[in-house]
Amino acid sequence: MFIARLKPLLAVLVIAIVAGCGPSVAPSQPPTTAAASAAASPVKGGTLRIGYGAEVDNLNAFTSQFLTDIELTMVEGLIVSNDKNEYIPVLAKQIPTVANGLVKTRPDGKLELTWPLQQGVMWHDQTHEFTADDVCFTWKYIVSPGSEVYNRNSYLPISDCRVQDKYTAVMVWDTPSAIYNGLFEAILPKYMLDGKDIVKYDGYNRSPVGTGPFIFVEWKAGEYVRVKRNPNYWRGNQYPYADEVVFRFIPDINTRLNAVKSGEVDFAQLTPPQVKDAKDLPNYNLILVQQNSWQHFDMSIKTPRGAKIFGDKAVRQALFQLIDRKTIVDGVLEGTVQIADTVAPTTSPFYNPDVKKYPYDPAAAKKLLDDAGWKVGADGIREKDGEKLSLTALLSSADAIGKLYWQVIQQNMKAAGVDIKIDTKDAAARSQVWRSGQWEIQISRWVLPADPSVTGLYSCKGSNNMTGFCDPALDQALVASDQELDQAKRKTLLFKAQELLAEDAYSLPIYYNVNPIVISKKLGNFKASGTNLGSFWNVYEWYLGK
Amino acid sequence: MGRYVRRRLIQMVPLLFGISLLIFLIIQAAPGGPEAVFLENRLFIDPQVIEAFRQRLGLDQPVPVQYVRWLAAVLSGDFGISFTTGRPVGEMIAERLPATVELMSVSFVFAAVIAIPLGVYSAVRQYSLFDFSATTASFLGIAMPVFWFALILQLLFSVQLGWLPTSGRDTIGDGSLFDQLKHLVLPAFVLSIRHIAGWSRYMRSSLLDVIRADFIRTARAKGLRERIVLTRHAVKNALIPVVSIMALDLAGLFSGAVIAETIFAWPGVGRLFVQAMFARDYPLLMGILMMGSFLVVFFNLVADVAYGWLDPRIAYE
Repeated sequence: MFIARLKPLLAVLVIAIVAGCGPSVAPSQPPTTAAASAAASPVKGGTLRIGYGAEVDNLNAFTSQFLTDIELTMVEGLIVSNDKNEYIPVLAKQIPTVANGLVKTRPDGKLELTWPLQQGVMWHDQTHEFTADDVCFTWKYIVSPGSEVYNRNSYLPISDCRVQDKYTAVMVWDTPSAIYNGLFEAILPKYMLDGKDIVKYDGYNRSPVGTGPFIFVEWKAGEYVRVKRNPNYWRGNQYPYADEVVFRFIPDINTRLNAVKSGEVDFAQLTPPQVKDAKDLPNYNLILVQQNSWQHFDMSIKTPRGAKIFGDKAVRQALFQLIDRKTIVDGVLEGTVQIADTVAPTTSPFYNPDVKKYPYDPAAAKKLLDDAGWKVGADGIREKDGEKLSLTALLSSADAIGKLYWQVIQQNMKAAGVDIKIDTKDAAARSQVWRSGQWEIQISRWVLPADPSVTGLYSCKGSNNMTGFCDPALDQALVASDQELDQAKRKTLLFKAQELLAEDAYSLPIYYNVNPIVISKKLGNFKASGTNLGSFWNVYEWYLGK
Repeated sequence: MGRYVRRRLIQMVPLLFGISLLIFLIIQAAPGGPEAVFLENRLFIDPQVIEAFRQRLGLDQPVPVQYVRWLAAVLSGDFGISFTTGRPVGEMIAERLPATVELMSVSFVFAAVIAIPLGVYSAVRQYSLFDFSATTASFLGIAMPVFWFALILQLLFSVQLGWLPTSGRDTIGDGSLFDQLKHLVLPAFVLSIRHIAGWSRYMRSSLLDVIRADFIRTARAKGLRERIVLTRHAVKNALIPVVSIMALDLAGLFSGAVIAETIFAWPGVGRLFVQAMFARDYPLLMGILMMGSFLVVFFNLVADVAYGWLDPRIAYE
């Protein structure tokens, strides 16, 4: 069944590669035809209609759980991540580095980071100017105990934020952190929020004030969020090109595709199974944005049974070799994604191509299991010391693709004497079980920022280490890489960490997730980005051609 | 009658109280909590943040304490604050009600206008070609999955013909009545199909019963014209059970339609319910479910009262 579907998917892959979406280049670049068909020079005006999925919870970058795109039209931070997986300055004039002299080590060993800021940037209501005060105010809010900012722990090493002058903020880091350049993706207006309980303050959370290219207009519950052009945008009078952006909430994926087909939206997020329906639309380009996100097969050793079975590296490696990732990628995902062998995305400067790989090899896997003492029993299932090699996979009922690839894995494993049972739970219930560690095997995704630090996932005490695995050597490499400010040295450490991770066989990357987007052929300057900050990082220069 | 209604209204209080307790327990029993919104976005979450979140929402308290807190607030007229948006639950439901009432009442009226004549005609021409076709169509209408039918209509009328919008309540920037009506057509039609199918069946069988009754024979024997017999005597009496069934369906006017509202991106209560359910937004879920429960209980009373009013043989004293 999967083989029969191979041909159309190859076609998609070819389109992607021919159009400059090859794996080695940035796979997120729009096809060249898109650039050619859009007007050569930017056109002013027009309303950009975005077909969005689920409605957002609120419009505060720090308290919302799934905002980013809408936020990026209105609110700016010190930095943003671009289409090349780099952090670039926005409200900061420069990102401090050791090389440019803005990162200094104090005599007491603490680091001082100097952030020079853009001057003459006004908040949307034009009453106040953005200054270093706002930066330090934002820091104070994030590290406050009840801030509920998801990555608050990344900000905790900052022990002080000082307003050196109106346009310079100085931050003191108690311990060096390599990921300092990815923080402060939004800045809050102090004049508006000082003294307010920000988590609950609707005055901001439902009508934010930023410095960005668009100004909040209205949010009609269940329908849309509308923003209009900021005529005083600090990057210059020509920006932004569009007059308005409207984010329409269309929760049903099929309706969203129908809205595209009937020309109601200029931009829509789709899902991988819809790629074949969306790739030949006359007025739209389909773009497969490779995300900084990968599916990974995990085993938990947090239960006694799990510890007994998965404590043996040979068993883990055997299971890896029983997962036919090629069939999953080509069959289930119809060739829209790439196999992943490591956690860093191929577009990242930290991507290590030379880690140990686990190609599908049932013969080798069977031998590993035989040698490890797991003999095939009378019922065709392997067993050892009275324990059956019958594993339960935890799956979210919302994961439509997961249901398909688990069928492939089930068959692969069964042929080698490994029984797989699927335990489907609704999304919230699955999350709870997963976080508790009381599960056996599962496949799910992580989303990385532009920075590839995975310390939280694979270090022994990592706050998001759900499997319980712990390798001191890996731990050391990960922690050291987080504290290394020298890029070259950090790269060496992260390369080592990726090698160890593959060698330890704690987690098998399956494939890099893609986010299929359709954009109108009229939309110019769209530069897809697969980081957690998404593709709206340069929305100020998007335009709708004729 | 007045005393009867009063008694029924008083009985509603312990009933609704029991319902609230039951719903609260069922919602809490569902595995996974409101912190799922944090965990589902697949970013690396600081576990302390989840603790702070649980504490702010009172989720660190035992379930009975949470229930008593909720009940105390409700009794003082406060349905709580939504976990996901941080806004008052009452306000969130109220802002979704107009869209739901608009959609549901249009589909309700449309269904009634079609279903009743359809049922009458089918009964009068029993076993005719029309009756067989109507019967077949009704069963199709009852059996047809809403999500499938909705998407087919979208493909036909929005994608192929380009006559109607796929979804939403209006075109942004165009607030005209015509534009709003265009947005109503597909969802209202999809929702009315099931009502048409169901009600016309009730109407048909009810009228068939009545037509064979003695008083109809009497009416005919008096020499009344068939038309008068049918409209003045038969249909009026046959409507009694149909109206009570329609009254029960009235509760749906406010609680909305979960699937149709989601597919057509209609900003109604049904869609809000789906969002609340996936996010385990307990206060919002309680608010919507309690409103729905109250309406079901209330319209049951309305149906009973209507029954007595339409049929003098039924007396509540």
